[in-house]
Amino acid sequence: MRVVIAEDQVLLRAGLGRLFADGGHDVVASLGDADALPAAVSTTNPDLVVVDIRMPPTFTDEGARAARELKQLHPKLGVLVLSQHIETTHTIDLIPLAGFGYLLKDRVLEVDDFLSAAERVARGGSALDPHVVATLLSGRRSDDPLAALTDRERTVLQLMAEGLTNTGIAKRLHLSERTIEAHVRHLLTKLNMPESEDDHRRVLAVLAHMSATQP
Amino acid sequence: MEQQKRASQLSASTIGRAVRRRQTEAVRRLHLTLAPGLLLGLTVVSEVAAVLLGWNLTSRFNTVMYAFSAVVMAGAGALIAARHPRNPIGWLFCGNALFSALLGDAALRWGLRAAAEGWPGGAVGEWLATTSWLPNGLGWILTFLLFPDGHLPGRRWGMVAWAGALGLVLAVPGWSLSPGAGSEFVSGRNPLAVEALPTDALFSVGMTLFLGALVASAASLMVRFRQSTGDERQQLKWFVAAAAFASVALSTTAVLWYVTPGIEVLAATAVTALSLAASVAILRYRLYDIDVIVDRTVVYGTVTGLLAATYGLTTLILGTSLGAGSGWVTAAATLVVAVAFRPLRDRVQDVVDRRFHRARYQAMRRMADFLEALRAGRAAPEEVQGVLRELTGDPRLELLVLLPESQLYVDVNGVPEADPPDGQRERLDVERAGRPLGRVLHDTATQEDLILLRSLIESGGLAIEIARLHVELRRQLAEVQASRARIVNAGTEERRRLERDLHDGAQQRLVSIGLALRHAQHQLGTSKVEYATRTLDEAMVEVKMAIDELRELARGLPPAQLDAGLAPAFLDLARRASVPVEVTAPRERFDRGIEGAAYFIGCEGLTNAVKHAQATSISLSARREDDRLVVTVIDDGIGGAEPAPGSGLSGLTDRVAALGGALRIDSRPGAGTTLTAELPCGS
Repeated sequence: MRVVIAEDQVLLRAGLGRLFADGGHDVVASLGDADALPAAVSTTNPDLVVVDIRMPPTFTDEGARAARELKQLHPKLGVLVLSQHIETTHTIDLIPLAGFGYLLKDRVLEVDDFLSAAERVARGGSALDPHVVATLLSGRRSDDPLAALTDRERTVLQLMAEGLTNTGIAKRLHLSERTIEAHVRHLLTKLNMPESEDDHRRVLAVLAHMSATQP
Repeated sequence: MEQQKRASQLSASTIGRAVRRRQTEAVRRLHLTLAPGLLLGLTVVSEVAAVLLGWNLTSRFNTVMYAFSAVVMAGAGALIAARHPRNPIGWLFCGNALFSALLGDAALRWGLRAAAEGWPGGAVGEWLATTSWLPNGLGWILTFLLFPDGHLPGRRWGMVAWAGALGLVLAVPGWSLSPGAGSEFVSGRNPLAVEALPTDALFSVGMTLFLGALVASAASLMVRFRQSTGDERQQLKWFVAAAAFASVALSTTAVLWYVTPGIEVLAATAVTALSLAASVAILRYRLYDIDVIVDRTVVYGTVTGLLAATYGLTTLILGTSLGAGSGWVTAAATLVVAVAFRPLRDRVQDVVDRRFHRARYQAMRRMADFLEALRAGRAAPEEVQGVLRELTGDPRLELLVLLPESQLYVDVNGVPEADPPDGQRERLDVERAGRPLGRVLHDTATQEDLILLRSLIESGGLAIEIARLHVELRRQLAEVQASRARIVNAGTEERRRLERDLHDGAQQRLVSIGLALRHAQHQLGTSKVEYATRTLDEAMVEVKMAIDELRELARGLPPAQLDAGLAPAFLDLARRASVPVEVTAPRERFDRGIEGAAYFIGCEGLTNAVKHAQATSISLSARREDDRLVVTVIDDGIGGAEPAPGSGLSGLTDRVAALGGALRIDSRPGAGTTLTAELPCGS
């Protein structure tokens, strides 16, 4: 997997580079700001771009804007946004896109999880931090179908949204895959969504619903 | 003939007694020239002399009534003349009154008294009195022609005046030199009779012209009345009616003088009616704009009279039942009078205002109603400006109130006075109990309106005072809100800075340390063991930096030591300082906000002393003084500290002010710095 990293903190940038290298990936470019990203992507043709949301010069949403721009130019490109804290103001419209991920920086310390999330995004999948999903789920109005979900169904939905497969969810919750399948079927019915065998498409539909009805 | 002569005199209006006092006030207020007052005075003196001389010699009714009417007409004339000196009407009134008082009443009484007592010159007096009614009559003809504006209604009406004058020229010798007029004298003989003259013929022709002119002059008033409208019509109405009646009555009297005894009643009534009508026009319908000031003098005069009567009556009644000369009677009467004074005065003022100052009375009533509404909470005090505008008819009138703290004049909405102040407008300072409250900017032109405005401000003082307090309160509230907003903003800003420092500093560092550890783990697993040591060393450097950053962040946060109270927190501060610090602090606990503020004052003071003042010893103390906690930081440094905007000291000032306290910095160059903060801490 060819990776481009955009991160203004030198130590973290170096650490991320080593992490991907240790995982057997090629870091084809490392940048200190978002300005040079489009050019770097065009020349290096990566599978994944990892970008910090806050970068110079204003340290607000440079990373998010660069991510949006890259997804418009290269819809197939995987973009993984990293942040020190979760706020959905700048990213809400990116969340339902295929090949987009949004994780807290802390997640990099769980190296295996992080790398598999990165690979999933590069393949066109989704990788959302549990905090992002929790933010999407919070503050729902009472007439929202999401409010009608049981606690277990919400948990399953949350894990789906993080990008986990049925198998992954079953493992995480210590339940059988059949049980998880039943939960998924129920919650999709409640949300008025067609069942799909394709995990990616299923997650994206859920995310589209959640971000569209974001309070 | 005495009756006829009397008939030409002025008669009284009902308010006669008040006129002199009112006149005195009017002299001051209306900047009277001396002349009208002098004429009035002479009239009064003449009538007093006439009454004294004629007492018991003529009918008392006549004596008093004619004196009364002359004085009233002289008063009305003096008012008009003072106010409109170019208008002949005032002078005609004055002149007619004085003429009849001096040459009519006084001269006649002299004649009668001289005859009775055998004094010399009696006949001269009688002759003057006998003749005086004719010039008086011409005075009335001119008055009718010129009333009220001093101009003829048309040029040809001048003919009437000339006819009257010619009639006078003929009738005076025809009457005064006639032997037939002997019956008018006590001696029964006219001393100036000239047998050779055809006096009867002269009198007949002259009198015909004269009476014709009188009737015609009255007719001119009718014409004037018909052409008038509105207020002017109201003003003319009464006088025209009286004049019409007078012209008929006086002519009839002249013709029937010898035929019907007692006809003088008709003439007397007519002239009395004229005086009354003129007074009504002036007082009630504001003719000549004389909104006569029946002021405190009149009110107090009336009140005094009524109180004296009350006193007398009380003494009499109680004296009858308790026995005269009892001390109790005097005491009781005094008490009654004392108790009655205030309500009586208000009542009389009310009656006087209602009677004579319709406009003023209504305005004051409106103000009183407003104050009542204010008390009942139905009106806002700021509306007082609108009420003043409405009552003075000045839509641009502006009420400014004085803020005692800043000595600024602001309008009722708290907007400061235009700078530079509008110099074109009249200013009237508003005071209450000797303290300046504000000022009124107005365009009032006339003296009457100014007096009205003064009265309104005086009676509306309460509303103005409340409006001022409102404005002051609103300004202080705005100031407090602004200060609170600044503190909240400062707090938010501080939180944001803290959050960024944590996220971008310590947290990032911890993440990279974690990554380094992971990397080292990887290196250990892949036989590059020797590299792992280097990676871990790098991570250790990061850990140290993270610790330093966190320590920096912790500065500026209330320390854990403050949980135990101010004294341990201060001791902790002292231990951490690089300069010896002597600490005095009470064990007592205070409100958390107060303790926090005191701690930061100590913190900032120490930082300032160490960093900027190059101090070698510092004293940090907190002590309670009554309901205040006083924190002082004294150093022996270079001094010269100033709270520059945005500096730590400036931030302290806001923080202390927010708690209702005060911060003082005494820092002369070379004399060290003393920082004193006083914080209210309850009792």
